Amino acid sequence: MSDHTVAPTKPASQATQIRLLTVRMLLKVMREPAVTIPNLAISVFFLFTYNGAFGSSGVTSFPGVGGNYLNFILPVTVLFSSISGGAAGLTLVADLETGYFRRQLSMPLSRSAIVLAAILLGAIQVLVQATLILSLGLLMGADPAAGVGGALALLGFALLWGMGFAGYSVATGLKTGNAQAAQAATFIFFPLMFLAPVFLPMEQLAGWIQAIAKVNPTTYMLEAMRSVMIQGWVASSLIKGLVAGGIFASITLTAAVRVARSKTSRA
Amino acid sequence: MSMIEVSDLQKTFGKGDEAVHAVRGVDFQVDEGQIFGLLGANGAGKSTCVLMLATLLAPTGGSARVNGFDVLKQPNEVRQSFGAALQETGLDPLQKGVELLELHGRLYGYDKQTSKARAADLLETVGLSDDGGRRIGTYSGGMRRRLDLAAALIHHPRILFLDEPTTGLDPASRRAIWEEVSKLKSEGVTVLLTTQYLEEADQLADHVAIMADGVIAATGTPDDLKAGMGADVVDVELADEAEAARAAAAVGLEAKVVGNEIRISATDGPAVLARVMNQLRDAGIEPKGVSLTQPTLDDVFLNLTDGGSGHE
Repeated sequence: MSDHTVAPTKPASQATQIRLLTVRMLLKVMREPAVTIPNLAISVFFLFTYNGAFGSSGVTSFPGVGGNYLNFILPVTVLFSSISGGAAGLTLVADLETGYFRRQLSMPLSRSAIVLAAILLGAIQVLVQATLILSLGLLMGADPAAGVGGALALLGFALLWGMGFAGYSVATGLKTGNAQAAQAATFIFFPLMFLAPVFLPMEQLAGWIQAIAKVNPTTYMLEAMRSVMIQGWVASSLIKGLVAGGIFASITLTAAVRVARSKTSRA
Repeated sequence: MSMIEVSDLQKTFGKGDEAVHAVRGVDFQVDEGQIFGLLGANGAGKSTCVLMLATLLAPTGGSARVNGFDVLKQPNEVRQSFGAALQETGLDPLQKGVELLELHGRLYGYDKQTSKARAADLLETVGLSDDGGRRIGTYSGGMRRRLDLAAALIHHPRILFLDEPTTGLDPASRRAIWEEVSKLKSEGVTVLLTTQYLEEADQLADHVAIMADGVIAATGTPDDLKAGMGADVVDVELADEAEAARAAAAVGLEAKVVGNEIRISATDGPAVLARVMNQLRDAGIEPKGVSLTQPTLDDVFLNLTDGGSGHE
C-alpha cells in the first residue's frame, strides 16, 4: 500500500462515536424518504381536515376550546408527528436485518453509543417534523397564548413524547429484530392517542372514554400543550404533562436500555 | 510471537437435551505473519471459532487471546486489533462504499483527513475506485466482498479474520482475493482463514487445521498433511505390454506392470520421476506418456471427515 499511515491505537471517543453514528443514520433516513414522508403528510392532513371539519362548527364554543379550534387541534397533530421518533427503532431493525448491527459489535465501539445514536436520530426526526407542523399551524392562524415561549414549549413536549416512542420502538425493534413486528408494535399509538380528549375537551367525552382517558398519559400531554396554546402559562397543567410524558419516556427508555444490553452482549 | 492463541476453546449453544456442542475443545496458535487455514465442512465449527475470536460469541469453556488480549476480559483491545470479513458481509445498502470506509476509519480512531486517504487507498487496492461513490445496494456480490475486505483493513489491523472469503465468488474474484491476502502476509499481517476449499488452504495457508464435528481432526502444514496420506504415484505409459515389461526390468523392483503402463509408488514422486526417465533413456525405451499423482488436501479431508458428511 502506498500510504504510510499506521494503525490507530485507540478508537474515537464516545462522543465522536455517537456523533458519527447519528450522522450515518440521518443520511440513511434521508435516503429513504418513503419512510418519513407519510408520517409528516398524515400530520399535515390531520391539521387541515380536523380544522376544516370542526373549525367553523359549534365545537369552538365549548369551554376549553377557547374559540380558535386551530389552537385546540394543533397539539394533536404535533403529538402525532412525534411518533416519527419511532424511526429510532426502525433504523436499528434495518441494521439488524442487513447485519450492519453485528458488524458494529465487532468494532471497538461503545455499546451504548450504537443505541444512543438511534435514539438521537429519533429526537432529531421529532424536532424537524414537529417544527414543520407547528410552523404550518402558525401560518394557518394558530396563536399560542403563551407566545413564542409557548411554541417552544410545544416542541419540548413533542420531543419528550417522541423520546417515549423512540424508546418503545427501540425496545420492540431490537427484541423482535423484525421490521414488520416493530412496525406493528407502533399500533399501540392508536389506543393511546384516541382514548384521550383528542377532538373534544375532556368533559364532552363519553363516560367510559373519560375513565380511560384519565389514566392515559396522552391526556396530560395534550392538556399541557393546549394550556400554552389557549390559556398561557399554567403551572399545574405543565407539571402534569411533564410528569406523564416523563413517566412514559422513562419506562420505554428503560426497556430500551434493557433490551439493548442483552442484544449487544455476546450470546 | 503468537498473535492468536486458542486453548481448549469450547462453545455450546442451548442447554440440557437441546444443547449443541458446536466447538468441543480446540487448541491452536498462529504466529505473527502466518496464514492459518481452518478447514472443514459446513457445521464443523470453523465459523463459531472465528465468531468467538471476533468477540461476537462468548466461549463456554477454554480461553482465547488475540494480539495478547483475552477475548472475554479485554474485548475492546481485541476489537481494535483485528479486522474481519465474515461470511455475511453486513453492509448497509443505502450507504456509499466510500462513506463506509471513511466512517469506519474515524470510528477506529483516525482523524478526518487520514480516514479519507485510507478510504481512497483501499478502494483502489480492491479495485473499487470508480464505484466508491455509489450506494452499496447497487454492488454485485463480488464487489461487496471486496468492499468488505477493504473495511476489514481500514485500521491497519495486525490480525485479519477471513471467514470463507471466497465462497460463492467467480474464479477471477477469488484469485484477486488470494493475491491480496498473500500481499498482506508479506506485509506481516497474521491471517486466520476459514474455507471449505482445499485448494484455497493449499494455496494460501502456512498451517492448516482440519475441523470436523467441533474438534481439530488433523493439523500441520499442507505438505505434512498430504505426506501423511502416503505415497506419490508415478505412471509411465509405454507402447505395449512387452515394452512395459522391459521398462519395469530397467527401472527395478519397485515398478509394477499395469497393462501397458508401469507404476512406481514413492514418498518423493518428483525425484523418482526424474530417475525413472533417466533409466528408461539409458535402456533406449521411449515412454508414450508420463504422469505424477500427488495426494491432495482433498484426500486428507475426505479421509478425516467420512467423505465430507459434516454435521449441521
